[in-house]
Amino acid sequence: MTGDSTRLTRTVRGAGCAAKLAPGDLDRALCGLDLPVDDNLLVGLERADDAGVYKISDELALVQTLDFFPPMVDDPHAFGRIAAANSLSDIYAMGGMPKTAMNIVAFPAKIMDISVLRQIIEGALSTLRGAGVVLVGGHTVDDSELKFGLSVTGFIHPRRILFKRKLRAGDRLLLTKPLGTGIVCTAIKAGLAGAEITARVTGNMAALNRVAAEIMADYPVSACTDITGFGFLGHLAEMVVDSGAGVRINPAALPLYPEALEWAAMGLIPAGAYNNRNFRGEFVRFAPGVDPAVQDLLFDPQTSGGLLIAVAADEAERLRSALLAAGVETAAMVGEVVTEPRERIVVE
Amino acid sequence: MTREINCLGLACPAPVLQVKEMLEKERPAAVTVVVDNEAARENVSRFLVHQGFQVTVARAGGEFRVTGTGGDEACEIMTDSELVAVAGGGGKKILVMVGTDKMGHGDDGLGTALLINFLKTLKEMGPELWRLVFVNSGVKLCVQRAEAVEILQELAAAGVSILVCGTCLNHFRLLDKKQVGETTNMLDIVTSMQVADSVINI
Repeated sequence: MTGDSTRLTRTVRGAGCAAKLAPGDLDRALCGLDLPVDDNLLVGLERADDAGVYKISDELALVQTLDFFPPMVDDPHAFGRIAAANSLSDIYAMGGMPKTAMNIVAFPAKIMDISVLRQIIEGALSTLRGAGVVLVGGHTVDDSELKFGLSVTGFIHPRRILFKRKLRAGDRLLLTKPLGTGIVCTAIKAGLAGAEITARVTGNMAALNRVAAEIMADYPVSACTDITGFGFLGHLAEMVVDSGAGVRINPAALPLYPEALEWAAMGLIPAGAYNNRNFRGEFVRFAPGVDPAVQDLLFDPQTSGGLLIAVAADEAERLRSALLAAGVETAAMVGEVVTEPRERIVVE
Repeated sequence: MTREINCLGLACPAPVLQVKEMLEKERPAAVTVVVDNEAARENVSRFLVHQGFQVTVARAGGEFRVTGTGGDEACEIMTDSELVAVAGGGGKKILVMVGTDKMGHGDDGLGTALLINFLKTLKEMGPELWRLVFVNSGVKLCVQRAEAVEILQELAAAGVSILVCGTCLNHFRLLDKKQVGETTNMLDIVTSMQVADSVINI
């Protein structure tokens, strides 16, 4: 790669899921809207989960999601793979099986060669192929900044939907990818990240959550979500709200990119992390002594993060071993579901 | 004298990078950075604290004036290359792949002893020895009661990264017996090979 014209991250303001609209703003836009009603809509906007679910029969429902964002890495092919893995992730987090996908593209044709778009789509196709998903179409607009993503439709059994909010007291929480991609991508954008960390974070973001989802289907999992733009604690807060349960997180057990701690301390933190903290900070209590850089990583917006799985305590170790044996990046036992404090998160 | 940097209209990480660039060229006793968003205010404050300044923030309308003082007492700023080194980017990297618990073919007893001796002698490579990766029966060297564990723990303490294949540990039912190294997967192994300057296979 030569020159800034091919450094995708230099052409955009935000990076990846860090470019998400602040969650508080989104709530203000959506609250109180008069939404159409349909008895077959099993999961819709009003109980926001990872994806929407629409029942077709007693045996079959459609599960639908859409994700798109500006590039968080400089290599177009890698950006395509990451965007696809990120878009499919919501379907896996619901316990569904993705089937079809459509591209959504904003492309700055005046400043970027069209071959860049071709490489992005090639990257996305390689990931879709690995997931057994077909590309059925898409829509492209000319824009000032590059953005790419996919709308994905899958199948799910109406009685086997994994909701966010079914946390069961005593369950253990497993996380399948390390945290800190937003900070690492900010360092990539700043030109400070070395080849090794760039390759590691790119590989992890491009990795499908498919294997983890298939394995967890055989275990007593009570709730699941995928960690993306709202950060670890933002998504965990969504699980906790209205669940009746609370969560205790062990900071020493969290899988983190060590480089991200150093970069957080020097202020390479995406604006999205501050938005997430402002929106969800009230749900979280940090014990004194939790490293401030670790706290930053817990609010850091993740691109194509791992699954956060709540599983029965007596099966947690077996699930952990099975995930690791299948080659999942990490399977860290990061905490447990508790009855008190109710609907709050304690990190200690 | 106070240096002032105007970062109005700039989104992260641009303000931090501007301040960093300035501090690499000169070392003023005080610096004021003007920004117009909360994230830039926090990030610039952190960066200045990280560089040894005491920081105060004044708010005027939608703008923040982040001022760092006492910078002349602070230590040297890290350059880009040092930061990359912090992130593990510096020096030549040798990766040793250990795919067996014996060295060579012929006599298994001899092979076992040779491999232990090999691991003991590895430290002679010095700081260029970057990472050991254990796969297949090699993982048996990293578990309870293995003679190599102590040698490997010494290498790990000296800063050598040790990765142990999770699929292999599971295959030999040794997942809960591992005594040294980080459990890893094929993606990490492939990435390690790509990043290493040379790969030695045993």
